[in-house]
Amino acid sequence: MQQFLDTTLGGLVLGAVYAAFALALCLIWRSTRIVNFAQAAMAMVTTYIALSLINVDVPYWVAFLAAIAAGFVLGAVIERVIIRPVEGKAELNAVILTLGLFMVLHGLTALVFGVQHRGFPAPVSTNAMTVGDTSIGITPFGILTIVVVAVVMAGLVVLFRFTDLGLRMRASAFNGEVSRLLGVRVGRMLTLGWALAAAVGAVAGMLIAGGDLVNPAFMDPFVIYGFIAAVLGGLDSPIGSVIGGLILGLSLSYVTGYVGEHLAPLVALGILMLVLLVRPSGLFAAAAARRV
Amino acid sequence: MRNTARRAVQVVCVLTTASLLAACGAGKERPSEDGTAVGVTDTTIKIGAHFPLTGPAAPGYSEIPSGHQALYEYVNDNGGVHGREIEMVVKDDAYNPTNTSAVTNDMILQDEIFAMVAGLGTPTHRAVVQRLNDDGIPDLFVSSGSLQWGDDPATSPMTFGWQPDYEIEGKIIGQYVKENMPDAKVGLFLQDDDFGEDGEKGARQFLDSQIVDVQKYTPGGSTDFSPQMSSFKSKGVDLVLGFNTPSYTALSQIAAQGVGFKSKWFYSNVGADPALVGGLLASMTKGKIPAEQGVKLMDGMMTTEYIPGVDAPDDEWVKLWQKVWDEYSKKGSEKLTNYRIYGMSQAYTFVQALQANGKDLTRESIVETIEKEGASFEGPGLAPFRFSEDSHMGISGASVVELKNGAAEPLTPVLVTDIGDAPIEEDDSAASDAPPASGLPE
Repeated sequence: MQQFLDTTLGGLVLGAVYAAFALALCLIWRSTRIVNFAQAAMAMVTTYIALSLINVDVPYWVAFLAAIAAGFVLGAVIERVIIRPVEGKAELNAVILTLGLFMVLHGLTALVFGVQHRGFPAPVSTNAMTVGDTSIGITPFGILTIVVVAVVMAGLVVLFRFTDLGLRMRASAFNGEVSRLLGVRVGRMLTLGWALAAAVGAVAGMLIAGGDLVNPAFMDPFVIYGFIAAVLGGLDSPIGSVIGGLILGLSLSYVTGYVGEHLAPLVALGILMLVLLVRPSGLFAAAAARRV
Repeated sequence: MRNTARRAVQVVCVLTTASLLAACGAGKERPSEDGTAVGVTDTTIKIGAHFPLTGPAAPGYSEIPSGHQALYEYVNDNGGVHGREIEMVVKDDAYNPTNTSAVTNDMILQDEIFAMVAGLGTPTHRAVVQRLNDDGIPDLFVSSGSLQWGDDPATSPMTFGWQPDYEIEGKIIGQYVKENMPDAKVGLFLQDDDFGEDGEKGARQFLDSQIVDVQKYTPGGSTDFSPQMSSFKSKGVDLVLGFNTPSYTALSQIAAQGVGFKSKWFYSNVGADPALVGGLLASMTKGKIPAEQGVKLMDGMMTTEYIPGVDAPDDEWVKLWQKVWDEYSKKGSEKLTNYRIYGMSQAYTFVQALQANGKDLTRESIVETIEKEGASFEGPGLAPFRFSEDSHMGISGASVVELKNGAAEPLTPVLVTDIGDAPIEEDDSAASDAPPASGLPE
């Protein structure tokens, strides 16, 4: 029972982290209709920026905000400089470009910061909390992670569903030509989409790194799992991304704790295949467009 | 148009095949100069090795070749071995077996090395061991404790291990736990490859009934070990035996704290370097604990030791390494570490083998020399080598130690054994070997 509880709590935290990452993917998909493979590498860069600040005694939360700001700028710059030239061409071009970007950022980070593992502090304790005499498998930092992800998710839902800006972003992604005719500054919306996505990615990076070790490859497992979580929930839906992340986190945690770590990737891919077979557009996607 | 394309493809195929054939041939037929081997002249010996100089396995391990190079320079400045200077080529494989094959190919075909010395890693070296043996290239003192380098000389006649293999380390740890902690509920934390497998095999000889849980991890996979630690916690584990690399020691400690799992820890020698792991643990405390004091976070952990390390500055061998390092380290600011000592100790064994071989050096003769005389080499190892015609296994034992303030306090004398059912015996004889006054093998 104790193990079940601990594994479940651990799975929820892990799931929240996948969810944070899936949210960033979902955001970029909603606002630009491409899948960004460089998402993890971008988050890794912003996390390293935060770590450098922390190492020169900048308070944690200032570094946290700096990472978000850095993510925002990085996302905007990448959209303007690298993605913009291939916009309007086949979508695959942009996707392949993000793969290349992934490698470049990896290499650059290794050059600048080195490849060794480094400890990344957390703002609150990463020791298990205790109830009475028994310790339970969740840490204050784990709870913080869940709260932050919930806030980010709520923020995105509000942005897309209830604000004029969100509507314009969705419209630009959905049909740039028509939006332009209606007076939406499509280019700006795309830049903003990338910037916001990278900022959310930066939050995910900080949550993953806190109380853990980082090296230039530390986000790599999250590329795969974040995608699975996003596709699971339907790339279109922020709530779906979060639920997809939680399902994935819990499943992986149970499999690792009760069966064996080596089966975890297999299970993740199994879930992905199942979802794609049964509901190709994801669990929480809006009804597919009607064919006329 | 289509015909032209097809013609082009044919031409490319023929050219590729031809160049491949040429490349294959190049490794084998190499006229020896003046009765000596490839890579050897009257004044030089060229050797090579693959190491992870970049990537997640690089911390620590990338320091080993600098130890080798410092010792070789020291030897070269003192006249070399039988008049020959040793030159070492080091190539980065980033701990990726595909790269290992490629860089080994380069070393064989372009650099024309005489021997591979100290190539690092179980999965990586496994990718090239057959190639080296097929080509008759000596493959000496692999930097890995897998059994496969030494337990079957008939299949890999050119390959030799160096450090104690993980099975005898598992046996020594297992026996110590059985005798001193007979009531401990043991959990195994294993790297999911030969490393974990061999260690488990050794430990189970003594602890089969005490082991209540086994958890594994895949290197390069998930780094969150909370589920594994939760499992230990729920099964009442109070002693964890870890056969894992250093970063994973830190990660398992972090995860254990995260799920509130308290236990005694016993890490294999590979994963227990206090400076490296302590530094990692300290860096997560947001500057509350300075890196130098991180080693204190490892107080009470147990591990094994088979060569003296930086924590014993008064040891004669460590004094020698310090002297060599101070004089020959390329970047003067870098400190002597246990990984550099490991490299120098290995290099010392290689120099010893060259010395024992005499002036007439061939690829066959060096293998024969190590088989015949290797078991009597006196070096920094706390236990003797097991080299013979039937075994190419390295150092035969280790002592169990407890970490305190970054230093290893011995809990047992040196325990010597071999793979399989061989008994474990106390044998301090090799531990008292002191280096020759010159610091050069005689």
